[in-house]
Parts: sequence; C-alpha cells; structure tokens
Amino acid sequence: MTPTPVPLPHGHPFVFVDRVLETDPGKRAVGIKNVTFGETAMQGHFPQQPIMPGVLIIEAMAQIAGVALHSADPPDAAGRSHIAAVRNIKFRRPVTPGDQLRLTAELTGRMDQLAQFAVKAEVQGEIVADGEIVLG
Amino acid sequence: MNRETLRQQVRETLVSELMLKTRPEEIRTDAPLFGPNGIGLDSIDALQLVVALEKKFGLRIKDSAAGQKVLQSVDTIVESILNQQAPQPS
Repeated sequence: MTPTPVPLPHGHPFVFVDRVLETDPGKRAVGIKNVTFGETAMQGHFPQQPIMPGVLIIEAMAQIAGVALHSADPPDAAGRSHIAAVRNIKFRRPVTPGDQLRLTAELTGRMDQLAQFAVKAEVQGEIVADGEIVLG
Repeated sequence: MNRETLRQQVRETLVSELMLKTRPEEIRTDAPLFGPNGIGLDSIDALQLVVALEKKFGLRIKDSAAGQKVLQSVDTIVESILNQQAPQPS
C-alpha cells in the first residue's frame, strides 16, 4: 500500500489533505489541499467547467478533522473515525483547478466516541466553505 | 433568571439547535429527551446539545456520565443551570 503523506487511514484516490501544517493534538489541525485539473472528479464535474465537488470539500474538511483527532495517537495504533454528522455547511464560492485549499478543523465538543468540529476551507484567505462536522 | 423563563429558553434551544419538527411549547418539560417514549434524541444530538448549552447558558457537562444525569429532560437541564449559577447577592 502506498503510504499517504499525512496521518490518515485513507488511500489513493481518496486522500484530500496534501500536507499538514499545524496540529494541536486532539483539538485542532490545519492542512492544505492542492486542487488540480488532473483529478478524477474534475473530469466529469464538469467537462467544460471543472469545479471541485462540494462533497469532496466536505470530505477534505472531515479528513483534517480526523488529523486533529488522531494526531496524538501512536503510529501503530492510529485511530480512525467516520463522518457521523454534517451540519450547516455552506459553499461560498466555487473551487477550481489551481486553487489551494487551506483546511482548518477546531474541536468544539467531545463525548465518548463522538467529536464535533468547526471546519472551514479557505482559498487565499477567503472562506470558500465552512460548517460543522461530527466524527464518530 | 427564573425557572419558567429558563424552561422556555431551553425548549427553544432544543428546537432550533436540533431542528426538531415541533414547537417549543409542545415539548413537555418532564418528557425524556432520549429513547422511544420521549423526544427521541440520539448520541449525536446529545453532543450538539452539550455544545449549545455551554455556549448559551455556560453549562459545563464534562463527560457522558454527567450528560446522562443532566440531559434527562428539560427540567433536569434547567435544574443544572440553576444549580451552577452563583447565588444572587441579596
């Protein structure tokens, strides 16, 4: 299996964090995702006008939340979480090839296996998507 | 803050935060929040509620054991908010 560049259980072609910039283990993480024309989803979404699908932006924000949650785990026992809820996500402008997404997740609450995060994705300092994601 | 005002505010919080398809006044304050015989919340709702109650009322619920005590009904939430408020100077 090809190792991913970031501490995530995901593999190709479903890694949407290219680099982790900061972590406050269990609480916060910041990372980047470079958006390119060559990505599979871009071929069909849409052939004449490539736009990163909103669901993949949600996935990218969930992945950086996963990095925040599990960055303190020992490498051989890194935990994994799945999306348990997605709330109030807004897409404020289209994300297109050439954009660099800056992904941020901050823990807002935790109970047992569930962890709630405020998440956002920015391009050049402008918020392109934000909302809340719960991992569990 | 008086108990009746708090009851109404907690019910409004439940409806708006958890997008319940009911009006705040229709929630009985002694109805169980979880399970089939009550409002029917689940654990994901519980975490959202914990975050909202802290933000709105400063109520700290530190773990799920505390959550099970506090989040039984609107009445138990109100009781916990009143208990944690410092006594008013007379």
